[in-house]
Amino acid sequence: MTDTIPTPRRPNPLGGIVRSLEFRMLGLALLLAIILSLSSPYFLTERNIFNILDQSVVIGIVAVGMTFVILTGGIDLSVGAVFGLTGIVLALALKAIPIVLAVPVAVAAGAGIGLFSGVLIAVFGLAPFVVTLGIMAIGRSLSFILSGQRSISGLPPDLDAIVYSTFLGIPANVLFLLALYLAAWGYLTYTKGGRTIYAIGSNVEAARAAGLSTLVYSILPYVVSGALASVAVTFSLAQVMSADPLAGNGLELDAIAAVVIGGASLYGGRGSIIGTLLGVLIMVMIRNGLNLMGVSPFWQGTAIGSIIIIALLAERLINMRSARG
Amino acid sequence: MLQSNAQTRAEALLTARRVSKAFGRTQALSDAALTLRPGEVVGLLGANGAGKSTLSRIISGHIQPSGGEVRFAGEPLTLTSTREALRRGIALVAQETSLAPDLTVLENIFLPDLATPGRLSFARMRAKANDLLRMLGHEHVLPLDAEVRGLSAAQRQLVEIAKALALDARLVIFDEPTASLSATEVDRLFDIMARLRDGGRALAFVSHRLEEVFAICDRVTVLREGHCVAEDIATSTLTQGDIIQHMVGRDIGAIYSARTPTESIGETVFEVRGLRAMPWVRDMSFSVRRGEILGLGGLVGAGRSEAVEAIWGLRARQAGEILVRGQAVPLRRPADAVRAGIGFVAEDRRAQNIVPDMSVRENLMLAQMGQHSGFGRGFGKRADRVADLLRDLGLPADRLDQSLLNFSGGMQQKIIIARWLLTEPEILILDEPTKGVDIGTRSQVYRMLQDAADAGLAVIVISSDFEELLGICERIIVVSDGITIADLPADRLTEEKLTLLAAPRTSTARNQALLRDLAREHGGDAFWTLLDGDGIICLAQAGAELAGLVPGQAAEAQKTHIPAALTARDGVFVTEADGQRQTLLVQMTDRRGHDLGWIGLTLPGDVPPPPPDGIRGRVRALTRGPEEETA
Repeated sequence: MTDTIPTPRRPNPLGGIVRSLEFRMLGLALLLAIILSLSSPYFLTERNIFNILDQSVVIGIVAVGMTFVILTGGIDLSVGAVFGLTGIVLALALKAIPIVLAVPVAVAAGAGIGLFSGVLIAVFGLAPFVVTLGIMAIGRSLSFILSGQRSISGLPPDLDAIVYSTFLGIPANVLFLLALYLAAWGYLTYTKGGRTIYAIGSNVEAARAAGLSTLVYSILPYVVSGALASVAVTFSLAQVMSADPLAGNGLELDAIAAVVIGGASLYGGRGSIIGTLLGVLIMVMIRNGLNLMGVSPFWQGTAIGSIIIIALLAERLINMRSARG
Repeated sequence: MLQSNAQTRAEALLTARRVSKAFGRTQALSDAALTLRPGEVVGLLGANGAGKSTLSRIISGHIQPSGGEVRFAGEPLTLTSTREALRRGIALVAQETSLAPDLTVLENIFLPDLATPGRLSFARMRAKANDLLRMLGHEHVLPLDAEVRGLSAAQRQLVEIAKALALDARLVIFDEPTASLSATEVDRLFDIMARLRDGGRALAFVSHRLEEVFAICDRVTVLREGHCVAEDIATSTLTQGDIIQHMVGRDIGAIYSARTPTESIGETVFEVRGLRAMPWVRDMSFSVRRGEILGLGGLVGAGRSEAVEAIWGLRARQAGEILVRGQAVPLRRPADAVRAGIGFVAEDRRAQNIVPDMSVRENLMLAQMGQHSGFGRGFGKRADRVADLLRDLGLPADRLDQSLLNFSGGMQQKIIIARWLLTEPEILILDEPTKGVDIGTRSQVYRMLQDAADAGLAVIVISSDFEELLGICERIIVVSDGITIADLPADRLTEEKLTLLAAPRTSTARNQALLRDLAREHGGDAFWTLLDGDGIICLAQAGAELAGLVPGQAAEAQKTHIPAALTARDGVFVTEADGQRQTLLVQMTDRRGHDLGWIGLTLPGDVPPPPPDGIRGRVRALTRGPEEETA
């Protein structure tokens, strides 16, 4: 019976890797690194490389949650506001209870907000865009109210340990970032939950009909996203040692941009955590490089916006060519 | 390549030669040819992926060819858009129609006119639309002011055809037009196609249903893997076997291999009682036994898919009980059904079964993964079973990591069926399992189902293809308007009988009314039944139960209360041997002389019988009403 199957062309495995999106993004990141190292002698110094990694921590952590959400075909516009709000919650908590209790409180607050959005979206079928837009407005408003419209400083000095302690010469926050990406990659690739998240984004009807727990895994990404926004703000607070109610303004757009540059489809089902990491690094490198070259920071938006559009356009052109088959 | 012998036929309206088309690096067509003449229907055949649709879309201007020559009405034809094709008089009626759902029938018919400048005259459009529908024999059947959204698949197709005619199309290509139509609707479509052909239009009929090709096509052209392997051959010189051989390149033998079941059929494992899921499912009950293949037959829209989706937890149920192995199980979500030991291959492969961004392996393991209780994917657990299944499917293990979308529809379907076999269910439900599956693979799908049944699974198959149901099922439940109306062994049925049984209630309302009237006026038992030798299938019944016929059940004449009448069929009242009952049987036929069954009236033996002529006249009036004038 075997001879009746029309045989599709077999792609050779190496070609598969070369054609994969992560590979192209890696190429883009390397190209960018070469250009920037040619234009600035400081770019490739060890100090600057750690600088880039350090600057990637906050946006990198938030982008992991955003990847989970976007893989299901959703979007989370509230992460910037949740970042700001849970930063205030953390700062207020730090004044009352020890660090080891205050951080879990803040993370639980972020996860709780995510759970609320997720339930509205998955159980009541509201549009993710609208729900998280609402949460974004509420979150920002509450952070102003809770903070009394000013920054909260005077945080316990021990807090900076989570940023400035090192292991094998690597700062703790960078280590955390890498560990988080490794864990997220493993989860999304090798677990039932991770694959269900992909299946939901790719075809929720088929996922439900196949008996997968679509409800649970439609909500979970928003919980992860909210929790990670508050994890990110913990690292941010430890660096600046004060909580600003305006903190994280526009962070959601940076996170979405990183995920999209990393090759994820906003329709869901397609994308990877490695792509997101490359997307984060590409964005941070552009900012860093432009700074080193002394370009006005106001040009950063133009540069990043152009990269997003060029990356998407290139992707579309490549897909158009291969999809005709 | 076979060539036809030239006869005295009209000049070719369209000739396509050596047409090729490449999509990226895929060569969809490499040497296709097609000749269409006015007054002829040409069947364009081929297995899935042979290039039938590509060729149709080139001719109708949807896509441009990479090479070759197309001549239309004596001139070279180069189309850059469908609009230009329509202007030249070439129209495509596709399976998925290109209608605007929010506009009315009238607006859709004249949709191309809406683009022309100036004021539209709705009165003139209305008059012209009525002319067109009269030409198609469907005047007054299609309400011009109805929104297209609410129309049936067959009605939408009619609008599409009228739209083509409004532009005075000289060449109409029907691309798999029958896929979503019931048998009676197909009949009506063929009637329309015959009218168009007799009106001097050139028609192409793209299909892979061979019986339909023989019913309507004058000539056939067969494509295989982008090549033309048989061009313009008179249908009358071919057999089904010839065409299949051309399509698949070899003899595949019988599509349906006879199964010798019965002894392997065990106890009832799955039963549905009084299922209600409004608005589609009103009252459905059926049961299936271990090792049995049960068919759910009926027209598209009868509520069969909706019923199994309700069982599967995808639709809300208002009433009904579902029993697995005799235990009532509350199935709220698909996961509950999987746990109860049920597998379900949904109707729409692309929308309900395939996860497009996932590999063959992940698609295959999807249901297994959902059932797996651990944190990981559970892919390693059934490695042996996976290897067995892949061997049965003829799929090399090294292709597991490719995208499922790279495979043919038939292979995709086999993988989806295998997805459920992996969960080791006791009950497997399949909704239109061979939809979009080419003829070469269909027999393999049937083999999978038969193997599953032989292994002790209870298999439920929903199909609108009656030939398929009769070919693979042991027993058939007929569903009409959301109600299970018959439960019959397949060997007692034919396609004609199934068509009659499956007819919607609205179309048999007049018959039912007559039965009620007869029963009331004469105080007896009126029934409508099919008679085939000794076999009886009662379709409907009204009044006192004198004859012993149960609607929806098969019976033997000798086992009823009126064996003498059923055997004699005399056209007069026949009194039984015991003198207790007397029965009149009147045959119904349609205008073409097809048997529509018998109307019977059984009265107690001691009453004076009414004159048979009056009743005969009323039965005759049923099939000669205004409704039948257009059929």
